[in-house]
Amino acid sequence: MGNTWVALKGMLEYMGLDVVVPPPSSKHTLNLGVQHAPEFACLPLKINLGNFIEAKQLGADTILMAGGVGPCRFGLYGQLEKEILVDMGYEYESLMIEPPDVSVWQFIKRVKRIVGPVSWWRVIQGIRFGYHKACLVDELEKLVQEIRPREYVQGTADKIFAHSLLTIDRAKNIPDLYDAFGLAKQKLLHIPQDTTKPVLKIGLVGEIYTLLEPFASLDIEKKLGYLGAHVTRSLYLSEWIESHLLIGIFRRKAKISFCDFANPFLNHFVGGHGQETIGAAASFALQGYEGIVQVAPLTCMPEIVAHTIFPRVSEYYGIPILTIYVDEQSGEAGIGTRLEAFVDLLQRKVESKTQCG
Amino acid sequence: MTKRIGIPRGLLFYNFFLLWSSFFESLGMEVISTAETNKGILDKGASKVVDEACLPVKVFYGHVAELAERELDYIFVPRMVSIEKGAYICPKIIGIPDMVKANITAKPAYLAPNLNMREKESHDQFLKEIAANMGKPLIQVQKAWRSAMKVQQKYELDLLQGIYPEKVFLKRETLEHNGDLNILLLGHEYNLYDDYINMGIRKKLKQMGCNLMTVNQVPKYVQQLESRVLSRRMFWTYGKSLLGTARYFRELPGSKGVILLTSFGCGIDSIVGNMIIRYLGKMKIPYLNITLDEHTGEAGINTRIEAFIDLLRWRRELDEDNISTYGKYLGSPQRYAGIYGS
Ligand code: SF4
Ligand code: SF4
Repeated sequence: MGNTWVALKGMLEYMGLDVVVPPPSSKHTLNLGVQHAPEFACLPLKINLGNFIEAKQLGADTILMAGGVGPCRFGLYGQLEKEILVDMGYEYESLMIEPPDVSVWQFIKRVKRIVGPVSWWRVIQGIRFGYHKACLVDELEKLVQEIRPREYVQGTADKIFAHSLLTIDRAKNIPDLYDAFGLAKQKLLHIPQDTTKPVLKIGLVGEIYTLLEPFASLDIEKKLGYLGAHVTRSLYLSEWIESHLLIGIFRRKAKISFCDFANPFLNHFVGGHGQETIGAAASFALQGYEGIVQVAPLTCMPEIVAHTIFPRVSEYYGIPILTIYVDEQSGEAGIGTRLEAFVDLLQRKVESKTQCG
Repeated sequence: MTKRIGIPRGLLFYNFFLLWSSFFESLGMEVISTAETNKGILDKGASKVVDEACLPVKVFYGHVAELAERELDYIFVPRMVSIEKGAYICPKIIGIPDMVKANITAKPAYLAPNLNMREKESHDQFLKEIAANMGKPLIQVQKAWRSAMKVQQKYELDLLQGIYPEKVFLKRETLEHNGDLNILLLGHEYNLYDDYINMGIRKKLKQMGCNLMTVNQVPKYVQQLESRVLSRRMFWTYGKSLLGTARYFRELPGSKGVILLTSFGCGIDSIVGNMIIRYLGKMKIPYLNITLDEHTGEAGINTRIEAFIDLLRWRRELDEDNISTYGKYLGSPQRYAGIYGS
């Protein structure tokens, strides 16, 4: 899922395991998944399944997957994937990490059970190391999001970023990691940029998987960036790790959660990130963003709930919201035009405001 | 003046209408529900909600929209988060009060208490919210609830014996059981019992000489036990009952088949339905999967059902030549014994 592998791999290698990272999600992955997954399952399941099959073909014997306890489908992915893989005749050991409703200690215990005989210290250090990587990757990514609409040569920032992911991945200890990070940051900061260009601010909200995995969302984030928008996501990997796995161990400071902003519109969590989606949209609106884009897999239940409630949010804050559903059939071109039209609309809105004011 | 409360005929209506209506009636209110679903209601609902929503939600919207125009004091749209410990219903059903509030402005006020029994099996919070909302003393509300629960228990017993909801609420006769094939009709209650959504499938099957069985005819503890085949807990109440019922069905004698009624775009059905199909395949029970949405054509479904029934009959003839494999009852009564005791 996006850059998750960098962090996870860092963590597990630190503990002395061999890690097989499935190749980045591609059309091939998706096709494998679509072939074997139920037709109406949501996109993340299909890609996920494809990833596993590919990993299997590369010789992995244990699969690490995240589970949960509902109320959304995500919680049952593990179960269904297991059934499917067994039916396909694959034998493997599966290990689940179930973020919600387990405490940090349980999580560490689980990790320990997964990796076998290593000292507690090493496990904790490993998790910390992985988390560090996630934080630094996120910091770079935020920088890239800022640069994308302003750089003179489109794509420079992305190239540097892709390269720096590799160097960060190669870092085996904290000093190396910071070296790699520092270098990458310097390079990014030196990209020639047009600082006078007016840039729209767009908040990207929605379902976690499509937010974090550019392949799943057909690079919506990049596309918006190139159309001249500074995109901020409602969710970054390190924040997710923090809020779901590490609450109160490495950093005690509790953040105000997006759920507080969802209050008048959606007073109850609905599984997945439905409530966060609403809350994040409201909070982006309050911070003066010009528009919101919601991205979600087709048939995603929590996001449909959020989508139905959006008209009210949009009216209340006077902020345009665009919802995009993706599935294995969505075409790049269609989404591209819709994004362009949306960005146009925002630009016109901003212009008319400045003229009047 | 007696207060009037409207209860939309959609989603969990078929599970809990009697409970709710007798509850509000014993609080001295008049209960009004909408007519059975028809095209007008569906179209109205579909026009108010995003396209991606599932059919039952659209139908529910239609019923709420009907009530929104009437002279009522309340519309009852409870937020049913969880109706048993450690399980949820469906994300959309959890979100439904906020969804309708965002899309349908109604003259009456929405009464939307939270019912969440995931942590603790108790209705206290739910009743407190209702009491506060209507300005009634809590004691009176609790008393009304207790008497309504009795009605609900009776209703669930009726369902268990194969009496259909419409006979209970509408006093309408249903066709008798007298067929030669056992068909398990698997689906959420709002798909099973809303004859507009399912295009009268129950009637069709009975006319073709089938005995019908639904999730309501298998006791909850049996479902619970059967669904434990999963290595992980199934946390959807309805998913659990679908899976449990399907697994229980394999033990019934006679020739049989399963018809799965799923809603298009339903997240629960997409996962649970697929698991069920995998199990049925392994247990060698024939199945037919029908996906319902507003564009499903009735003619196509008729043909598929007919073909399926023919297949079942044909298979039975083949089987009768050999010694019937279905002849003996495979289950042992001991299996569920422990549960009775506890
Ligand atoms: S949140 Fe959406 S995409 Fe994720 S499991 Fe649930 S339905 Fe699927
Ligand atoms: S359970 Fe399925 S059909 Fe029912 S409301 Fe939820 S998504 Fe729709």
